[in-house]
Amino acid sequence: MAKLTPEGLDKISKAVIIEGDWIKVGMSSCGIAAGAEEVYDFFVEEAKKRNLKIEVKKCGCAGSCYAEPLVEVKVEGLPSVVYGRVNKDVAGKIIEKHIIAKMLVNDCIFDSVV
Amino acid sequence: MYAKTVLIKDTDTTREDKTREAYTRLLDCLREDNLHDHVQVVRVSDIGIYEHGLVLKIYPDNITYANVQESGLKRIADSIRDSKVLEEFVFKPKARQLRLVLRNCGKINPESIDEYFASEGYLGLKKAISDLGQQKLIDEIKLSSIRGRGGAGYPTWLKWNFAREVKADQKFVICNADEGDPGAYMDRSILEGDPHSVIEGLSIAAFAIGASKGYFYVRAEYPLAVERINKAIKQAYDHGLLGKNILGSPFSLDLEIRLGAGAFVCGEETALISSIEGKRGTPHPRPPYPSVKGLWGKPTVINNVETLANIPQIVLKGGKWFSKIGTQTSKGTKVFAVTGKVKNSGLVEIAMGATLREIVMDICGGTLSGKPIKAVQTGGPSGGVIPQDLLDTPVDYENLQKLGSIMGSGGMIVMDEDDCMVDIPKFYLGFCVEESCGKCAPCRIGGFQMLNYLKKISEGKGEISDLPQLKRISQAMQKASLCGLGQTASNPVLSTLKYFEAEYKEHILNKHCPAGKCSHLITYNIIEEKCKRCGICFTNCPVNAIVGDKEKGYSVIQEKCIKCGRCFDVCKFKAILRK
Repeated sequence: MAKLTPEGLDKISKAVIIEGDWIKVGMSSCGIAAGAEEVYDFFVEEAKKRNLKIEVKKCGCAGSCYAEPLVEVKVEGLPSVVYGRVNKDVAGKIIEKHIIAKMLVNDCIFDSVV
Repeated sequence: MYAKTVLIKDTDTTREDKTREAYTRLLDCLREDNLHDHVQVVRVSDIGIYEHGLVLKIYPDNITYANVQESGLKRIADSIRDSKVLEEFVFKPKARQLRLVLRNCGKINPESIDEYFASEGYLGLKKAISDLGQQKLIDEIKLSSIRGRGGAGYPTWLKWNFAREVKADQKFVICNADEGDPGAYMDRSILEGDPHSVIEGLSIAAFAIGASKGYFYVRAEYPLAVERINKAIKQAYDHGLLGKNILGSPFSLDLEIRLGAGAFVCGEETALISSIEGKRGTPHPRPPYPSVKGLWGKPTVINNVETLANIPQIVLKGGKWFSKIGTQTSKGTKVFAVTGKVKNSGLVEIAMGATLREIVMDICGGTLSGKPIKAVQTGGPSGGVIPQDLLDTPVDYENLQKLGSIMGSGGMIVMDEDDCMVDIPKFYLGFCVEESCGKCAPCRIGGFQMLNYLKKISEGKGEISDLPQLKRISQAMQKASLCGLGQTASNPVLSTLKYFEAEYKEHILNKHCPAGKCSHLITYNIIEEKCKRCGICFTNCPVNAIVGDKEKGYSVIQEKCIKCGRCFDVCKFKAILRK
């Protein structure tokens, strides 16, 4: 890979734009201990199976360890929200309701997460 | 698709949860206003505000209403229809988190350097190398007044300046990621969530002092952190951000990871250096300080993970920007790992100067049990216990020290009235005795003797003369120990003696543990009048110390009882008396 120059670094910082819909799963030790890996795999599988236009991503710990596994969802037209204590069950609802029907899922959101 | 979203949650825990009723009522109101196709209402598990009645958040307007009465819901529905804000319900939060160190944690993919680039990644390093140069860089850090986040709070710029001024053929930088305080894990989260920010901070430190080699000293117990740092280092090498001639400049830096075997004392900088050198991890007397004579006798700067994670932002936004955050003597933010008997355990980053009560009550939602807070412990085994009536103290280095505690690395353990103030220091002292390297006598012998006194007191064999004796040994350890571990090991004992002396005396004079923790001082008995003879205690007792049957009732054989408290926990009728 080519070594970066100061100008190259400036260019690359502006070039990387993250857009589109995404799901982020908190995959630090705390999340993984609470079962985030299973949830992550589930989202990847479902997105593929249903041919959803959504990117499933990993991220670090957002700090709200009591509510792990945390899943943040950004879908165009809806506020981006964080779901807490997500298991396969809740993950299924997120796919069905939030991503496909564009409605937030009741009783699962942790709006305390910064 | 809905134009607006309303989140709703009843945050009053003193009564039955009314979220569902309010939810239905609001839906009805919206239907009356013909808004049900435009606004979606969502019940949430946690709305981030506690004990403020019914709370509503409206997106995308970003309005928060609190203490809303059910009768107010109709007006809120109307206000949404008329696009107005109801000032009387608007919630103004007292305490808010401010995320500088954790800015990327939970936001970006820690395994992708591109996402780090997209959030101003390595622009701080670029500014340091291309625009500032060593002197101006250190001036910026001086202007920011940032102090080490590892515990002692030493000004970072001073460390750097000492190391820069010493002439040597080789200098080193080390990232201290040997996080060992029980209950503290902010460094792990930073390394797992945003490893590049620490690498960038370490590179800037290396550039400032002219080091060409750096080490990450990480606990082997943090495999995921190690994996992610490794990946990040490789990516940085691939992009020419590590290695020879970084960003086309003459500055070169190589980074390597060294794993620590989990000895608490290796977080002390001289012991850490010994450990990297391949020697036994024991501390050395200072001076000479590592910034003059450190790793392999060369000038070495050792900074904590959190300190380094602050550096890129300081360089990028300027020291002046940073110095505006925080209090007079302590600038910036601090990350705390709040654990113990607290509702929302986790990482909290606040600007220095927020009070302990704001952190525990407003941000973390108070205690898990709903019982009142008894005390908060900060600073791990080197820190002290702060009683609940002093929780309104603004958090900074000096204030915590005045209270007999320390900022430490950021562990914060919340305790309620079920925690015994003899048992807590006993736990911490036990930890320090176990982790003492044994090199100096005050720590090795003093810690052991103090622990014996505490054991004696908690077993009901304490004498009143033990208390001055504990204080004497503490003072000796503070004055004569070789390193910070021994010097501060007595803090938990001293602070509990200061604030909870009555509880010690209760153990000694009345052989009674008010919190019901010290097993030698409590007995369990069955209150006949309350007992419904269900037999749940009988079936749950692990040592068959409960005898009887459903006809005659049950009783505890004291000689057999191991005081585990199982019967107390399982009894649904509060028929077990703990004394």
